[in-house]
Amino acid sequence: MSQRNGRSTQTDLSSVPRWLIHQAAGRAPETLSSRLEEEWLADLESRSAAMSRLRFALGCCWATLVIVTDQQRGRVTAASPVAPANGFVTLVDRNFGYFSLRSATLFLIAGLHAALFFGLIATLSHTRSAATPPDLQNHDVRSVPPERVPVTLSGAELNHWTIEVQKPVVESPPRLEISDDVIPDFPDKPGEVISQPLQTDTPSHVVERLAGGPSAGFPETADFYPPPSVRSGEEGMSTVQVCVDRKGRLTSDPTTVKGSGILRLDEAALKLARAGSGHYRATTEDGQPVNSCYAFGVRFQLKK
Amino acid sequence: MGKKDTRVRMSLQTLRVLEAFLENPTQQLAGAEVHQRCGIASGTLYPILLRLESAGWFVSQWESIDPSRAGRPRRRLYRLTSTGLRHAGEVFASFNRGVLA
Repeated sequence: MSQRNGRSTQTDLSSVPRWLIHQAAGRAPETLSSRLEEEWLADLESRSAAMSRLRFALGCCWATLVIVTDQQRGRVTAASPVAPANGFVTLVDRNFGYFSLRSATLFLIAGLHAALFFGLIATLSHTRSAATPPDLQNHDVRSVPPERVPVTLSGAELNHWTIEVQKPVVESPPRLEISDDVIPDFPDKPGEVISQPLQTDTPSHVVERLAGGPSAGFPETADFYPPPSVRSGEEGMSTVQVCVDRKGRLTSDPTTVKGSGILRLDEAALKLARAGSGHYRATTEDGQPVNSCYAFGVRFQLKK
Repeated sequence: MGKKDTRVRMSLQTLRVLEAFLENPTQQLAGAEVHQRCGIASGTLYPILLRLESAGWFVSQWESIDPSRAGRPRRRLYRLTSTGLRHAGEVFASFNRGVLA
């Protein structure tokens, strides 16, 4: 039973190309119809594969369309008064109608390309609009107060010594142009006792310590006044700690001990402190310059 | 009765068909054989054969066999005419000159 069904299906499939050829030949011009059908059926027999036969039959359908078009065009050409110069015409010499098969194909392909291009552009524009982030919104960001760094005094000389700093014995240091702005500060205020001696085995020795500070050639505060602060009238004092060697050069990066409350001014004070490296007066102990750390204030004040 | 229009629209496929016949100008070929030699699909091949025939380059006739004895239907055989042979020679000569007149 199943074999019979298989055979009938095979027969049906094999008859499709013949049916197609019959239909195609039937649409051909009457003078060619029977001839073409017999010719195509005979040529169909030279093919054994089912797909090849089907392809051949479909080609015959297409051939019929071309033959019919050729015949119609032949009538138009025959009516043309222009006589041929040669025995054949070139591709350039073709005289197609406005809507010949090839023209229609060309228009179809061009239309498909246009539709594809339009679809692509439309899709891209949609994707771009979806991917565009929302408008940026401005938020006021509160300035973060500078971190209070505890004063760390490096150097073993401050750990086990009683340091009594007296007022300078020397004449008052040369008045700096920035003296109003840069103010020596903790911990080396002259005349202040910082700590008590821890060890009393050895005879106590009172060290005359003279705290250092900015000296001649120290940069002007005005040169470091942030322009935005000048425009907005910001004023304040920032206390900066510096560590200085015996030649007045910084031995580490300055830090803010006490901020002014305005970040810009604190940063400007640090810049000023860095720029002043080499122009610091070293702390002296018994008249000898020593490495030390001290703080001083930098006041930013606008002239009235 | 006017003179027959021997113009043929020349295309690459047409040239390949002519080339197959020019291998042996006296031979007769069926459409299936031309397909085997040129590899041109039936949708293109048969219109070309008909054009060449209507232009007088080819003549065609039925194969002289007895289908019942041969066990297959008779085929339509095409052959180059003297006109077709001359025109085909001109076409290929113009290609050799690099000019398609």
